[in-house]
Amino acid sequence: MLKMTHLSKVYRTEVVETYALRDFNIDVKEGEFVAVTGPSGSGKTTFLTIAGLLETFTGGEYHLDGVEVSHLDDNARSRIRNEKIGFIFQAFNLIPDLNVFDNVEVPLRYRGMKAPERKQRIMDALERVGLASRAKHYPAELSGGQQQRVAIARALAGSPRLLLADEPTGNLDTQMARGVLELLEEIHREGATIVMVTHDPELAARAQRNVHIIDGQVVDLAEDPRFHTAYAAAAGQVRG
Amino acid sequence: MQISPILAALRYHKAGVVLIAMQIALTLAIVCNAMFIIHQRLVRMDKPSGVEESGLLVVKNEWAGKPATGQIASLMAADLDTLRKMPGVANVYATNTYPLSNGGFANGIGHSPDKRNYVSVTAVYFSDENTLSTLGLKLVEGRNFNADEINGLGDNDKIAPAVIIVTRELARRLYPDGSALGKTAYISNEPSIIIGIVDRLQIPWVDNSMARWADCSTLLPFRNLVTITHYLIRTQPEEIEDVATRVRATLYATQRLRVIRPKDGVKTFAQVRAAAYKSDRGMAILMGVISVILVATTAAGIVGLASFWVGQRRKQIGVRRALGATRQDILGYFLTENLLICMAGVVLGGLLAIGLNLWLMKQFEMERIAPGYVLAGVAMLLLLGQCAVFAPAWRASHVPPVEATRSV
Ligand SMILES: Nc1ncnc2c1ncn2[C@@H]1O[C@H](COP(=O)(O)OP(=O)(O)O)[C@@H](O)[C@H]1O
Ligand SMILES: [Mg+2]
Repeated sequence: MLKMTHLSKVYRTEVVETYALRDFNIDVKEGEFVAVTGPSGSGKTTFLTIAGLLETFTGGEYHLDGVEVSHLDDNARSRIRNEKIGFIFQAFNLIPDLNVFDNVEVPLRYRGMKAPERKQRIMDALERVGLASRAKHYPAELSGGQQQRVAIARALAGSPRLLLADEPTGNLDTQMARGVLELLEEIHREGATIVMVTHDPELAARAQRNVHIIDGQVVDLAEDPRFHTAYAAAAGQVRG
Repeated sequence: MQISPILAALRYHKAGVVLIAMQIALTLAIVCNAMFIIHQRLVRMDKPSGVEESGLLVVKNEWAGKPATGQIASLMAADLDTLRKMPGVANVYATNTYPLSNGGFANGIGHSPDKRNYVSVTAVYFSDENTLSTLGLKLVEGRNFNADEINGLGDNDKIAPAVIIVTRELARRLYPDGSALGKTAYISNEPSIIIGIVDRLQIPWVDNSMARWADCSTLLPFRNLVTITHYLIRTQPEEIEDVATRVRATLYATQRLRVIRPKDGVKTFAQVRAAAYKSDRGMAILMGVISVILVATTAAGIVGLASFWVGQRRKQIGVRRALGATRQDILGYFLTENLLICMAGVVLGGLLAIGLNLWLMKQFEMERIAPGYVLAGVAMLLLLGQCAVFAPAWRASHVPPVEATRSV
C-alpha cells in the first residue's frame, strides 16, 4: 500500500539544512494498522505529510498503492488525497465557519459527488461516530473528543483505503482517547490501512505493528536493544 | 459551484461582508449617476450651434460718453467699414448678442399680438444682410435680408420688424403642417413675414432650463444703436489670431472714445464656447474624478479584506487542500465568494442608484437615468470585484497543503 525506499527530506532555510528524514525505509501492507512512535522532532509528522502527498520529498522513492508519486502533478496529487487518503490531525482541523454536516461534506464536494449521495454518506459517517444528532452544530459547540470524531467522520465519509492519523489522541483525555482508538480499530477491521503517529505506548501497543523513528530513520526496537531505554524514557516523559 | 457552504461560511464574517457590500452599493449608486451626468454634459457640450465656428471672432465695443442714437449710427457704420477693410477679414456685422454668449433677450412668438398666446419662446438676434454669411448659417428656405430692409433701432424705438428669418425648429413649431415661408408671425404687436428659414441657430443660453427651446431663434433686421455692441467678424481661419491681435488697435485708431476691454473685449468663438460650457466641463471632470476615487477605494477595500481573509484562513485552506481541493477549487472558492458579496452589493446599489437619480430629478431637474447606465455599472463592479480579488485568491490557491499540519 505504502512503500518508501531510501527516502530523504531536507528542509532548507538560508542558514541551515535539516534532514527531517534520511534513508527512510518503510513498507506498510494493505490492511495493516501501524503505530508510529518516536521522540519529538524525529520526523514523524514529516513522514505522514509525505505519505499523504501533502509535501514532496527530496530523494528516494515512494510508491503509493503501486504508483510512484514523485512525477504526479498538483491536481493528480489532490485527486489521490481526495479519493484514497483520509487525514486525522492532532488539532482536529475542522473548519470553524462550517457546521458538522458541512465539514464532513468538504471532501465529498471536491470529489464532485451528487447531493443525495453526499447526504447519505455524511449521515452514515456521523452515525458511525455517534454524532448524527449534532449535524447542525458548529465545531466550537463540541468537546474535543466530539470534534475529533467529526474529523474521523470526515475522513471516513469518502471511504479512503488509507487513513493517516497524526497524534489523533494528543489533545484528548484518556477516556476520549480510548473511544477514538476503538473507532480506528473498527475502521481497520473493515479493511482500511491505518498509519497512526502516537506518543502513547499504550495506544501504540494495540496496533498490529510498531514503527519507531529516531532522527529521521526507522529503527527496529526489537532488534536493537540499545534503544530500549531511550524509548521507555521518552514514553514515560509524555505520560507523566 | 459550492454556493451554499460559501454562504454559510460568510455568516461568520458579517462585518466585512456588510462593509464591502455597502461600499460596492454606494460606489455603484454614485458612479452610475456620475456617468450619466457626465454623458449628459458631454451631449450638451456637443450640441451644434449652427454657426461656422472656426475663424469667427467677437469684439465687444462700448461707446464712451453716452453718444446719441444718430451718432452711434455713424460710428458703427465707420467701424463696420474699418473692420471690413482689415486684411484677413471676410465679413462682419453688428449685433446685440450671439450664440453661447449667455446674454441677450428672448421673446414670445405666436400667431397673435396677445403675448399670453405665444407658440414658443425665441431668442432675438439683431441682424443685417451680412449675418448669414458672417456666421456661416445655412439658409434652407427663402431669402436673406436685403440691405434696404435693415433699420436702426435706438434705445426707445419700438420693435416691429416687417420681415424676419427663423430657424427650422421655430418654423416647425409655428407651422407644423406646412412651410412657414411667407407666413406671418407675431414677435411684437405687429405681424412679421417670415422671409427665410435657416437650418439651425442656437440661443445664447446653454442652461438646462432653456434646453426646450434651445434651437428657436429669430433674426430681426435691425442695427441696434445702443452703447454696447458686439461685432462678429468672419476671418480666414488661419488668420484669426493675427486679426484678433490687431483688431483692438485698429478700432482705437479710428475713434478713441470707446472701451474694448483688454481682457475679454476680443474673443475667438472657441473661447466663447469654452466659457459657455466651463461649468459643464468642470462638472464632468469632478464627476470623473469622484468616480475614479470611489472605484479605486472600493478595489483597494476588496483587495485588503480578501488578503486579510486569506491570511486568516491559511490553515483551513491547507485543510481543504489536504482533503482534496485543487488549486482551481481554492481560486474558485474566493472568486465565488467575492461574486456573491458583489452581487449583494450591486442589487442594493442598483436600487440606491435609482433612488439617487429620483432625488436628483426632484432637486436639480436631472433626467431619468437610462437603465443601461445601471446595468453597465453592475457589470463593471462585478468585474472590478473579480479583478480586485484575483491576486489574493491566487495567493490562497498557492497555500501548500502541508499548511494543514502546522500547529496554530
Ligand atoms: N517546514 C519546516 N521547515 C524546517 N524544518 C522543519 C519543517 N518541518 C519540520 N522541520 C524539522 O524537521 C524535523 C522533524 O520534524 P517533525 O516531522 O515535525 O517531527 P515530529 O512530528 O516527529 O515531532 C524537526 O527537526 C523539525 O524542526
Ligand atoms: Mg509531529
